[in-house]
Amino acid sequence: MKKVTAKGELRPLKVPQASRWVLSNGLKVHVVRRPQLPLVAVRLLTRAGSAIDPVNQRGLADFTAGLLRRGAAGKPADVINESVEFVGGSLSGWAGEDALGVAVQGPAAHVESLLTVMGEVVMLPDFPEGEIALAKRRTLAQIANDLDDPGSLADRALNRALWGNHAYGHETVGAAADIKKFSRGDLVRFHRQSMGPQVSDLIIVGDVQPDEMYRLVEVAFGEWKGGPAMPPELPATPALERAGEVILVDKPEQTQVQVRIGAKGVSRGHPDAFPISVMSVALGGGFTSRLVSEIRVKRGLSYGAGCHFDSLAAGGAFSVSSFTKTESCSELLTVALEQVALMRQKGPTPREVKAVQRYVSGLYPARLETNESLASAIADIQLYRLPEDWVEKYRERLCAVTAKQAAAAAKKHLFSNERVVVLVGPAAKLEKKVARFGRVSVIKPNELE
Amino acid sequence: MPSIKKRGASPQWKNVPASLKPLASSVIEAQLPNGLKIRLLPNDAVPTISYYTFFKVGSRNERPGITGISHLFEHMMFNGAKKYGPGQFDRMLESNGGSSNAYTSTDLTVYYEDCMAEALELVIDLEADRMKSLQVTPKMLESERQVVIEERRLRVDNDTLGLMDEELGSTLWKAHPYRWPVIGWMSDIEAITREDCLQYFHTYYAPNNATVFISGDFEPEKTLQLLKKYYGGIKAGPAVPGVIDAEPEQRGERRAQVWHPAQAPSLMVAYRGPKASHPDTLTLDVLQYALAVGQGSRLTKALVFEQEAAVSVSVDWSWRVDPGAFTIHMELKPGADPQKCEEALYRELDKVVKEGLESREVEKACNNLQAQLLRELATNNGRAHALGHYEMMLGTWQEGLALANRYPLITCDDLQKAAAKYLSAHQRSVVTLMPREEAS
Repeated sequence: MKKVTAKGELRPLKVPQASRWVLSNGLKVHVVRRPQLPLVAVRLLTRAGSAIDPVNQRGLADFTAGLLRRGAAGKPADVINESVEFVGGSLSGWAGEDALGVAVQGPAAHVESLLTVMGEVVMLPDFPEGEIALAKRRTLAQIANDLDDPGSLADRALNRALWGNHAYGHETVGAAADIKKFSRGDLVRFHRQSMGPQVSDLIIVGDVQPDEMYRLVEVAFGEWKGGPAMPPELPATPALERAGEVILVDKPEQTQVQVRIGAKGVSRGHPDAFPISVMSVALGGGFTSRLVSEIRVKRGLSYGAGCHFDSLAAGGAFSVSSFTKTESCSELLTVALEQVALMRQKGPTPREVKAVQRYVSGLYPARLETNESLASAIADIQLYRLPEDWVEKYRERLCAVTAKQAAAAAKKHLFSNERVVVLVGPAAKLEKKVARFGRVSVIKPNELE
Repeated sequence: MPSIKKRGASPQWKNVPASLKPLASSVIEAQLPNGLKIRLLPNDAVPTISYYTFFKVGSRNERPGITGISHLFEHMMFNGAKKYGPGQFDRMLESNGGSSNAYTSTDLTVYYEDCMAEALELVIDLEADRMKSLQVTPKMLESERQVVIEERRLRVDNDTLGLMDEELGSTLWKAHPYRWPVIGWMSDIEAITREDCLQYFHTYYAPNNATVFISGDFEPEKTLQLLKKYYGGIKAGPAVPGVIDAEPEQRGERRAQVWHPAQAPSLMVAYRGPKASHPDTLTLDVLQYALAVGQGSRLTKALVFEQEAAVSVSVDWSWRVDPGAFTIHMELKPGADPQKCEEALYRELDKVVKEGLESREVEKACNNLQAQLLRELATNNGRAHALGHYEMMLGTWQEGLALANRYPLITCDDLQKAAAKYLSAHQRSVVTLMPREEAS
C-alpha cells in the first residue's frame, strides 16, 4: 500500500469571498453566496453578552435575547412564529459571554420575509408583560431541572470557581435569585442601551445574491438607531481565587463522579493561540490524545476524557473534564494531573505535533461546510478581531507551529499548582480520599442555582 | 474487473424532486461478489471525505443474557485487527487527517470516518482490515467492558432521562428485543464472554451484511478498484438469522413509575407505531413535526406557552425496522402535578383525533420536513449518513430522496386517521418520573 504521509500540500479551501458593506447607521454586513442548496442562514451578533449583565441582574442578556421573538412591532409571538416556521425556517436568540446573537435559517426563497422578521425582533421588540412573566417561570424551572444533570452541576461549579466575581463568573442563563426580579423596564433598558447597529454585525450565507441582499438589508435594518457607539470594555480576569482547592458538590446517591480541573487560560486571539492549540489537542483533543490514552484506553477508567482552552474576549480558562466510578476518582485525578504536568515539563513530541497538525488541518474544511458554521466563523472573526484571512490561513498557521513552540506554550500556559478541582458525587465516600488534592469544601447542588 | 457489478443509479429516482436530481444522478452503486454493497457520492465542494459502513445489526438481534453485545462489540471494533493492532486504528487515522466514531441503535451499527481526501485509501484499508480480521483479546475485552460500564453509569444509572427511557422500553414491549436497552443490562455487560463476541462477529460482520457509503472528493473509478483490492478477499458469511417479532397485541394502557432524586417530575407517553417501511410512517413524520417542532407547533404552543403544563415538549418518532414507538416527552416544573399535566396532553391529542389538524399546520409541517431533508444533505457526513439510513430503513436511498415529494401528498384526512389509529389509550405506555429527596 502506498502510505499516506504527513507531507504534501494542503488543498486550497473553496471559501467564496464575502461581500461586505456598512449601512449608514453603522451596521456591518457580510454576505457569502453559496448556491449548492436552496437554503440561507442569517446571523446577527451584537456586543451585548452576559458579561455586561448589570450587577444583580445575572442572566438579563440571555433572557432579553429569548424574549425578542415573543412579540415585536406590534405583532404577537404567534404571528412571528408563523411567519418564520410556516415556510420551514427557524429563529433563535441567545447570549454568549461576549455577544448576544439572533439567528434565522430557512429556504432561500423566503429570505426577504425572514430578514423582515429578524429586523423587527432585533429593532422593535415589545417585551409584553405576560410573556416576561411566563419566561421567568419557564427559565426558573429550567435552571432547577438543570441541577439534576451531574455534568451541568460540575460545569456550573467550575465556572464560578474559575472566574469568581468577574463578569464571566455567572452562567449566561443567569441566577434564579436575579431572574425572579427582572422587570419589563430592565429588558427595555438593556435593549436600548446595549444593542445597536454600531456594535453589530449581520452575516448572511446561502443561496442569495449580494446585490439583492444590499437592498433587503437596507429595508430591514436601515432604520435601526441608538445603542452604544463602542463595544464594551471588560476588566481583565483576576487570578484564580480558589487555587489549590477541591470543590465537592454532594450527590449522595450517585455511582459516578464528574471530574473537572480548571485553571487560567488565554484570551481569544492570543499570539500563542496556535502553539497552545497544538499542545492542547495532543494532551486532550482527539481520541489518540494522552488523556484519552491514559484514562480510557490503558486503564478503562472512563468513557470520555479531554481538555480544552476556552478563550473569550477578556480572558480564558483551561479545563480537563472526565468522569469515573466513585472508587476510581483519586486514580483518575492522579493520572490527569500527571499528564498535565508531563506536558507542561516536556511539551509534545515532534511526532505528536505532526499528527495533531495533520488531524486538525485535515478536518478543518468540514468545519465550514454548512451555511450556519461559516456564518459562525465569520461572526467570530468580527467579534474577536481576528485577522480577515483567519479561515483561509488557519491550516497554514497551525501547520507552521514547531515542536519547540508547542513546548514553550505548554510551559507557559499550562498550570503548575494554580488549579481548582471540582467533583460531583457522594461527599461521604469522597471527602477524605480527595483531601490530598487540596482543601475540600462540600456544597449542595442548590447552591448553584 | 468482471466481478464488480457497477451500475448507474436506478430509474427509481424519477420520483426525486428536481433540486435533488443532481445528487441522485451522481450516485454510483456497486456490489462485490462477497455481497458488500457500495454507494459512491462524489462531490468536490470540500477536500474531505466521509466514509460510512452500515451493518444491519443492533440490539434487536440480541437475546437475554448477552444484551448490550452489539454496543460492546462496536467498541471492540476499535481495538485492533491483524494488520493494524490495538490503538493503531485511531492513531493511523488521526495522524493522517481523519477522525472516526460509531453508534449502535436497536437496528443498526454504524461506523464512520471523516478525513481529508488524501486519506481515503488508508480508511478503506483500516475498515477492510477490521472486517476481515478483528482481534478480540481477553485483555482488550476487559478494558473495554469497564469503559462501557462507565458509559452506562453516565447515560442511564446517573441520568433521569436514561432511567425513564429504559423503563419505557420494557413497558412498551413484552416479547420483542426492543424491550431491553441498546447499552444492555449491567449484569449482561459484565458477563459477555470473548466467545460470545467472536460468534457475534462471524454472524453479523460479514461483507454481505454491510453497506458502504462514501461521500466527498474522490475519483469513483479509482475508489472502486481500491474497494475491490481491500475488501475483495473477505469471504461472504452465512445468511443473517432473522428476528421473530413475537410482540403480542397490546390490550390496554401500561404504566410505570421511576422514583429518583430529582427537582421535578417528568413524563414519557409512548404509543405503539408501525415499522419504518410502512406507509403510515411518513404520516407520523408529519404529525411529529406538526405537534412539536417550533414554538408555534401544536403541543409546544398549547402546553408550554398557553397552559404552562410543561417546560418543554418533544416528540420522538424514530424509524425502526420492526414496529416502533411514537414517544412524547414532557419536561415538567418543580412541584407540578404529573397527573394534571398528563391530562392536559391527552386533551390536546384528543382534539387532533376528533377535529384533525388545520391544513395550514399540515403544510407547515411539510415545509419544515422538506427544509430538514435539505439541511441533512449539506455536508459530506450528512449526505452519506442520510442516504445510508434511508436505504437501511426504507429499502433504497432513492425512497429517502423522494420523501420531499411524498410529504405534501399527505392530507389532513390521512393525519386524522393516523392519529385515531395510533394515539389510542389502549396502545399507550406511560412512565412518570417521581421526584424524591436524595438520601444523605
